[in-house]
Amino acid sequence: MNPDGGGALRRLLTTLVRSAATLTATLAALLCVTFALSSLSPADPALKLVGEHGSVASYEQARHLLGLDLPWPQRLGRYAEGAFHGDLGISLSTGAPVARDLRRVFPATFELATLAMMGSAVLGLGLALISAVHPRGVTDVLVRVISLAGNSLPIFWLGLLALYLFYARLGWLGGPGRLDDAYEYTIDMPSGFVLLDAWRSGVQGAFPNAVSHLILPVALLVAYAVGSIARPTRAALLAEAGKDYVLLARATGASVWSVVLRQMLPATASLVLTLLALTYANLLQGAVLVETVFARPGIGRYLTTALFAGDTPAILGSTLVIGICFILINGVTDSLAHLLDPRT
Amino acid sequence: MSRRDSSTSSFNVSERRRRRRATLLLAAGCLSGLCLAGPPDVLVVAQSLDDITSLDPAEGYELSSMQAFTSLYQRLVQPDPDHPASMTGAGLAKGWQAEPGSLAFELRPDAVFANGHAVRPEDVIWSLSRAVKLNLSPSFILNGLGWTAATVEQHLKKIDERHVRVTWSAPVGPAFALSVLGATVASIIDERETGSHAESGDLGNRWLHDHSAGSGPFKIRKYIPHEALVLDANPLSPGDAPRLKTIVIRSVPDASTRELLVRVGDADIARDLGPDQYAALRDRPGLQLRQFPSAAVHYLLFNTANTDRPELANPSLWQAARWLIDYQGIAHGLLKDQFQVHQSFLATGFRGALDDTPYRLDVSRARSILQAAGLDKGLTLTLDVFNQAPFTEIAQSLQATFAAAGIRLEIRPALAGTVYGRVRSHSVQAVWLYWIPDYFDAHSSASAFALNLHDGSTSIAERAGWSIPQLSDLTLRAVREPDAGRRLELYRFIQTQVQQRSPIVIALQERSQVIMRANVRGYRQGLNADMVYYDRVTK
Repeated sequence: MNPDGGGALRRLLTTLVRSAATLTATLAALLCVTFALSSLSPADPALKLVGEHGSVASYEQARHLLGLDLPWPQRLGRYAEGAFHGDLGISLSTGAPVARDLRRVFPATFELATLAMMGSAVLGLGLALISAVHPRGVTDVLVRVISLAGNSLPIFWLGLLALYLFYARLGWLGGPGRLDDAYEYTIDMPSGFVLLDAWRSGVQGAFPNAVSHLILPVALLVAYAVGSIARPTRAALLAEAGKDYVLLARATGASVWSVVLRQMLPATASLVLTLLALTYANLLQGAVLVETVFARPGIGRYLTTALFAGDTPAILGSTLVIGICFILINGVTDSLAHLLDPRT
Repeated sequence: MSRRDSSTSSFNVSERRRRRRATLLLAAGCLSGLCLAGPPDVLVVAQSLDDITSLDPAEGYELSSMQAFTSLYQRLVQPDPDHPASMTGAGLAKGWQAEPGSLAFELRPDAVFANGHAVRPEDVIWSLSRAVKLNLSPSFILNGLGWTAATVEQHLKKIDERHVRVTWSAPVGPAFALSVLGATVASIIDERETGSHAESGDLGNRWLHDHSAGSGPFKIRKYIPHEALVLDANPLSPGDAPRLKTIVIRSVPDASTRELLVRVGDADIARDLGPDQYAALRDRPGLQLRQFPSAAVHYLLFNTANTDRPELANPSLWQAARWLIDYQGIAHGLLKDQFQVHQSFLATGFRGALDDTPYRLDVSRARSILQAAGLDKGLTLTLDVFNQAPFTEIAQSLQATFAAAGIRLEIRPALAGTVYGRVRSHSVQAVWLYWIPDYFDAHSSASAFALNLHDGSTSIAERAGWSIPQLSDLTLRAVREPDAGRRLELYRFIQTQVQQRSPIVIALQERSQVIMRANVRGYRQGLNADMVYYDRVTK
């Protein structure tokens, strides 16, 4: 758009520096808020360590071991220093380093959310375009129904229903878990991405089995997210439809689809980008119910279990990772939107 | 649902898998070998494993980890699965000689760990002393023998290559010592194997989080927190080798998903379903419902130490409460036989348990007790409960029956950790909790319900602020009592005192229900949390 390549590069660099500064400041703020909230939590990590029967001396010893006897700014400093070096502490509920736990569960969520995002983007934008071209047509009604259903029906209930129908009743698709038991505990998962690991394992049938276990949870997340993309995009496209440049283009003889794809869609690109980014961020942290119903590991489930167990290191670690995802997605979206339209 | 019901016998696992294979082949082209039939020598159990913090017996003290320890480790003595009251036959000790203050154990000559190492007296000494030195959650059980990190090694002596002597400084009898040594925290670990994985003086604790080094019928192949525990049969297992080669315990957090898994046959056993789910599956073809008594007892506790509410210390309130619980309605109606009415702290199945149930729902009697005590002017109390089934359902039942006598209960559901925190800080008014004995001896429960020494030690009686110097003395006398018959008499008397006079209203005993495929045979389960046995299971 800008013929001046040097100017574009400068703008990109400025945006990146600004994003990095925002990322650092937001992360610091996130860390402080999460740490403060964890400190206020009534769950007692020391009690969890020594148990209900622990003597007062053991309890005090555990508090000292966990650093709970220190003032909270000092604890925060200690934690931040560890986090900077990749040490997020030991999870009280798994007994393993939080960083290791997160390396295990995050790829599963990332895989699920990314596939769902791709499905939602393709389906959502496709439906939005069709319903904008044919407002009040069949597709338009379909978009509304899907949006309404996806946003109003509880996702765990839909998940159970889908499991009952497609897994238990019809036997078409894989059920809970990432793989059938025959594969799950025999193939290695070095990357944590089940599709990749199943493919690499070379075990016959492992990859299609992983696919069959992914279809339902991905489809559910798509159903949940597609409305959030399709409806605002459709509304934005229809708002553009009445503008002069569209009338002019049509008057010059351009086809409807040509105008929509070449003129109207680029005009709404910033909005679409923001929608996709928000949806992706929500999918990354909001898949907990799907992970629970489908018994899949993931950061949402890990965080929920940690919350129930009062596992402060795991809560802090998960929140940080989710926060970083949010900030990165927002940063990338802002940069892209800025590049597409320097006025934003 | 009904159509599926009628066709269950034909809709078996292989049929379902054939359909799935055919469909996917059709959809995706050539995808040969998509679904392997579940091997017949693998048992798949669906339950939640979210509670496991560690699989080191010196640390793990949750339901799921304790269930696993019995498969992975042996203790010197442990209850015989077929005769739980007997401590012979199942442990590493072939026999023992009891003397006042000591027990001399003879190890079985054929006792070996899963890796082939022989079980030596050194392993016994190392395992017991490391559990005390690590000082983690379950170590208080061994502390009951008077052992501390500084003194424990003095109490464990190797006599020769097959004999070891255990002594104790606490004023307890050999029967109690045997019970303590039968707890999972006293599991015997291979010192050579575990020691080689020790780091920073942790005595192998980190390594044992997800590995095993025991002599039980199974060994850990893989443990993935919150996902699965996979056990392989130990071919060197004591007695006969396990019938099945592998046990896969899958962590499935949602009860409805667990139900689906067992219904379609992808799981052989499912645990922890809701009462409605069990009722729906009870008569379903292809499935069987097994019920086992559990040692868990549920109780209502009034915190008499709450000085803001002096009514809580009034024994008339406790008495009235005993007549304000719909015992039968909760156990058999609301919770569909997942509980039985039980009103003393020793669960039915324990030697010396008091099985009489003198209390029932009688609102008018409760009202007159409250009236006589001047507590009939509209009392409002908070009731803390765990925010999950069946606690919230029980709380609602209590709310209704107490309201009939003019006591308004305000339910405060919260996470278990939060509720325990409030109980520990004595900030609750009334709370509904449950208790599972820590080891298979009456003293475990008696020391919880009838011992308050005011010395910083904790117990349920202490949490209730119940001051009982005489009853505490009696509880300590009972644990010292060498005569088995006299000891049981003492425990019966102590139970009666708690049942009739305490601010703790014991109401229900759990029944553990397990749903399994009809072809699963040989599964055994006992009273205590650790008494889950997979070694004789066939399918």
